[in-house]
Amino acid sequence: MKAAIRHLKRNKGRSLLTLLAVLIPVYTLVFMFGFASANLRDMFETATGLESGHFQVREVQERATGGTLPLIDDAAPILATLDAEERVAWRTVRLDVPALASAGNRSQAILVQGVEPETVARITPIETLIVDGEYLASGTNGAVLGEELAVTLDLTVGDDVILLGVHPDAAMGVLRVPIVGIYDAPDASMGRSLIQIDLDSARALVRRPTAATAVVAMVDGVTGPWDVDVIDEVTSDISASLPAGFEIVDWRQLAPIVDSYMRILRPMLLLIAGTFFALGALVVVNTLYLSVMERTREIGLILALGSSRRRVMGMILTEAGLISGIGALYGAVVGVALIWIVEAIGGIPLPRQFADMMRALGLSGVLHLRIDTANVILSAVIMAAIAMIAALFPAWRATKFEPVEAMRYVE
Amino acid sequence: MSNDALIQTVALEKTYRTGSVETPALNGVDLELHAREFTAVAGPSGSGKSTLLHLLGGLDRPSSGEIFLEGTAMSGLSKDQLSRLRLTNIGFVFQAYNLIPVLTVLENTAFVLELQGIVRSERIERARKILGELGIEEYADQYPNRISGGEQQRVAVARAVVSDPSIVLADEPTANLDTTTSLDLIDLMRRLNSEKGATFFFATHDNRLLDRVNRLITLVDGEVANDELR
Ligand SMILES: Nc1ncnc2c1ncn2[C@@H]1O[C@H](COP(=O)(O)OP(=O)(O)OP(=O)(O)O)[C@@H](O)[C@H]1O
Ligand SMILES: [Mg+2]
Repeated sequence: MKAAIRHLKRNKGRSLLTLLAVLIPVYTLVFMFGFASANLRDMFETATGLESGHFQVREVQERATGGTLPLIDDAAPILATLDAEERVAWRTVRLDVPALASAGNRSQAILVQGVEPETVARITPIETLIVDGEYLASGTNGAVLGEELAVTLDLTVGDDVILLGVHPDAAMGVLRVPIVGIYDAPDASMGRSLIQIDLDSARALVRRPTAATAVVAMVDGVTGPWDVDVIDEVTSDISASLPAGFEIVDWRQLAPIVDSYMRILRPMLLLIAGTFFALGALVVVNTLYLSVMERTREIGLILALGSSRRRVMGMILTEAGLISGIGALYGAVVGVALIWIVEAIGGIPLPRQFADMMRALGLSGVLHLRIDTANVILSAVIMAAIAMIAALFPAWRATKFEPVEAMRYVE
Repeated sequence: MSNDALIQTVALEKTYRTGSVETPALNGVDLELHAREFTAVAGPSGSGKSTLLHLLGGLDRPSSGEIFLEGTAMSGLSKDQLSRLRLTNIGFVFQAYNLIPVLTVLENTAFVLELQGIVRSERIERARKILGELGIEEYADQYPNRISGGEQQRVAVARAVVSDPSIVLADEPTANLDTTTSLDLIDLMRRLNSEKGATFFFATHDNRLLDRVNRLITLVDGEVANDELR
């Protein structure tokens, strides 16, 4: 061990090169995974948070309804099933009714969303987006609408809006609702077309006191896209005990873009990681091989004195292990430090066009990074392990020296 | 075969093959070396001195013939067994580059003991003791490149005898040294021979050293031309 350290010190330049060959891939990968991880998390959270939840239970759709969800007459059996499953963190009932919103002589086709204000606030951010008035309160008749729609209909907080519900499964209903709040929608089409009212008011609009179009649910212990397996487990268990006529629609179907993005990203990241690992390994093989060749005479001497070949191999591998261990450790530290610095200055702001594009996808216009402990450890450990495997060749080569010939070798 | 021989060679032959070129190096050498002898093997360049030492030390195998070390036929040993035999029975001193550059003089001396699996405290003690006996303990913590060639060869001798091997094989240990240093090194070996009973067998073509040996073997063209006790 002591000798190994001295060997590494003897040719500092080369040791440094080997160290960097391990260090650079590790911190690059830590950084890259940190970015991908934050990016995926944001996308996943936006997709599951804004609208869809981790999964929804709906009535099986038997005919085309032009995008309108069929009415569930009574959501109680669904709620009973979900409440029996303890891995469901919480659920909320939603009743979506296509409607015409009118005020004075202006009208606009919109979607009325009847929600349970207390629970829905956990997934839809509308409560936090209110710019005027306040959010809905349970059991009171009121509506929140986007700024764009408020302009179109020329409405402000305190005015009434007339809703004409036109759900294909129900008779038309009319409702007069006071505006309690106006929100700033994350994208304009939502702001033009979505009005949220209390669930009971929406039920009144379709004249069905127990109706719903979907029960939106979130699963316990899902902190990001890396936990989607948990969702899959829960949905498959629930779909087995769900009453006939209902189906589970999970986040993959609700946010297909996120799903396919994740599917593409994963192999791409693995490919890049593999390339970095391979490059690191190549440099390690190269420098270690050189170092073994330069020490031909010394290794010959050690073998002549009666050292076992295993010991010579161990000697080379100890050096490789030291340097790749240190390299991987520092690589992880540098990677984590980089992420930490970037996050400390508030992320990397994107150029405008990109930022707009990201926002359309429901993402913030700033690149964030996230320290994913498992990724950091895996990057470091795998790189160190690959470096050690790469070291096997030069180490094996060293055991093949014939002492007499090796000692005749002149540098 | 007489039983008191430390090493006995029988019709020892070695021919090197490089591609289709055959170079005969030893042509039937029959020798007996005994414990406590201080023997030099002399002869012109290319006469086979190094080859003989390599075969005796188990660093290479003969083309034909046999070597018995303390009664054991070396041809019957595997590569690993030969390696083990070198470690426990044979001390080596080479012409140059004897020492491991990243180890200190003390660590170099203790190296074979380490290979033998002797515990650290004991090998340090034994290495220090032998360095003291050879009068070079002051260099114990130096690295080899910081001491002179003559001192390096002394350290090599110290390492060769530290584990009390059956025989020390030295291939032109003085070839790179000036006359005084050469004579000092030979005297040192001679002293180890008479005081500790260490057996030495060394190759040289330096005639100034030859009056200090008690047996001189002369090789010519791979054959023993002369073998005299002095
Ligand atoms: N590895 C080898 N391959 C081919 N030929 C060799 C090899 N080693 C030695 N020889 C040849 O074998 C013969 C004996 O060589 P050896 O080295 O034993 O002689 P030597 O007496 O030690 O010579 P020197 O005094 O120059 O050291 C020489 O002709 C030499 O060229
Ligand atoms: Mg020679």
